[in-house]
Amino acid sequence: MTSTPSAPAVRIAGLQKWYGSFQVLHDIDLTVQPNERIVICGPSGSGKSTLIRCVNQLETHDRGTIEVNGRQVGKTTPRMHILRRDIGMVFQHFNLFPHLTVLQNCTLALRKARGMKPAQAEEVARHYLGRVRIPEQQHKYPGQLSGGQQQRVAIARALCMSPRIMLFDEPTSALDPEMIKEVLDVMTDLAREGMTMICVTHEMNFARTVADRVVFMDAGRIVEQADPQTFFEAPSHPRARQFLSQLL
Amino acid sequence: MRFDPDFAVSVVPTILGGLGTTLWITVAASLCAAALGFILEILRRSNRWLGYVMRFVIDAIRSTPVLVQLYFIYFVLPVYGLTLPAAASGVLGLSIYYSGYLAEVFKGGIDSIDAGQFEAGKALGLRRRDVIVSVILPQMLRNVAAPMGNYFVSALKATPYLAVIAVPEMLGLAMEAGANSFRYAEPMVAVGIIFLILALGINFLVRQLERRLQAAHER
Repeated sequence: MTSTPSAPAVRIAGLQKWYGSFQVLHDIDLTVQPNERIVICGPSGSGKSTLIRCVNQLETHDRGTIEVNGRQVGKTTPRMHILRRDIGMVFQHFNLFPHLTVLQNCTLALRKARGMKPAQAEEVARHYLGRVRIPEQQHKYPGQLSGGQQQRVAIARALCMSPRIMLFDEPTSALDPEMIKEVLDVMTDLAREGMTMICVTHEMNFARTVADRVVFMDAGRIVEQADPQTFFEAPSHPRARQFLSQLL
Repeated sequence: MRFDPDFAVSVVPTILGGLGTTLWITVAASLCAAALGFILEILRRSNRWLGYVMRFVIDAIRSTPVLVQLYFIYFVLPVYGLTLPAAASGVLGLSIYYSGYLAEVFKGGIDSIDAGQFEAGKALGLRRRDVIVSVILPQMLRNVAAPMGNYFVSALKATPYLAVIAVPEMLGLAMEAGANSFRYAEPMVAVGIIFLILALGINFLVRQLERRLQAAHER
């Protein structure tokens, strides 16, 4: 990869996206520096998930530019799959491969995309399964695990690729309350280690303790971004104030 | 003319002389049809224009009689310089015919896989073909085991069509036994029972497979 070390991890400028005639994203500008932790919040339907899905081009955008690790991404980007290897993603519904064991879920991309030998891939996978604190479940199938365990496996699966950025799309929204903490703990560890993270989440405590910057979206626009303290103590935009008053 | 059970039994070895041919043609045609059907369905999904073309190809295959396809391959293609042996023509014909139906079965099997599975594979940086082979195909096979098995049985029961292009399969041999003795009832009953046993056997195997895949799903 030929990106310069000083390049932002993600640079989004003038981003617009439509679903048919409905505009879901309006003039989004957002720059994320390496090692920065961003939490994106806002009411449902505000375009948060769509925005982070544009970063790894699971959704294509219609106007504006997105650069990830110094490389422009878009509809016509050749070999997008190679760029995606540096962008980990964790989904709301885990999206583990149900026909593969925990270990195989983690090694698939290492073998197919990184060309690793099985033994080497398994070693990497075990390392990350240990980091998400489930080293003992490696031969089980996703269906045999709790939601919290599945989401931690999903995080390990993404980490195996040694991504430079991690995207989290409401990683705890589908979890039972008692399992949210175990997933947030893993994410907090990851943040402490300096991983560049963009998290769409409603976990305001996580945002408060982990985020360097909170981005608040409403109706397809970024209406406020601030450090967590400013955002939670003195939000300037009325929509942000309203949103926070409903949450807290 | 009374039905002669002894004669019926006596023609069984003659008819079973075609068992090997019937079985290998069934297996070869089923495997080729599944592979071709999967390729058709994957191409249909790949992009809009190829999608339209493949939709037409799949419908065209399903909308022409298998006998017409067989005659075309065996009698018409040689006119244009492509001559295939009878058995190869038969395998090709049945493969093409059933590929159309299996493409439809696979469509349903792929549609019922959560879109998040494609996305997870993509997000990991896998190539499209790796997502298809390692993520989609195994889950699709689990979804379609039963209907796919039905078409394998159907392919078995279609092998008698190959009698018309002189493949020595079981119906052809039964017809021959009938022609030699001027008694058709016994060979037809015998060949019918042999097909029945084979079809029930395949059904049984498919059900076992289905149960194993189901168990794997519930793990």
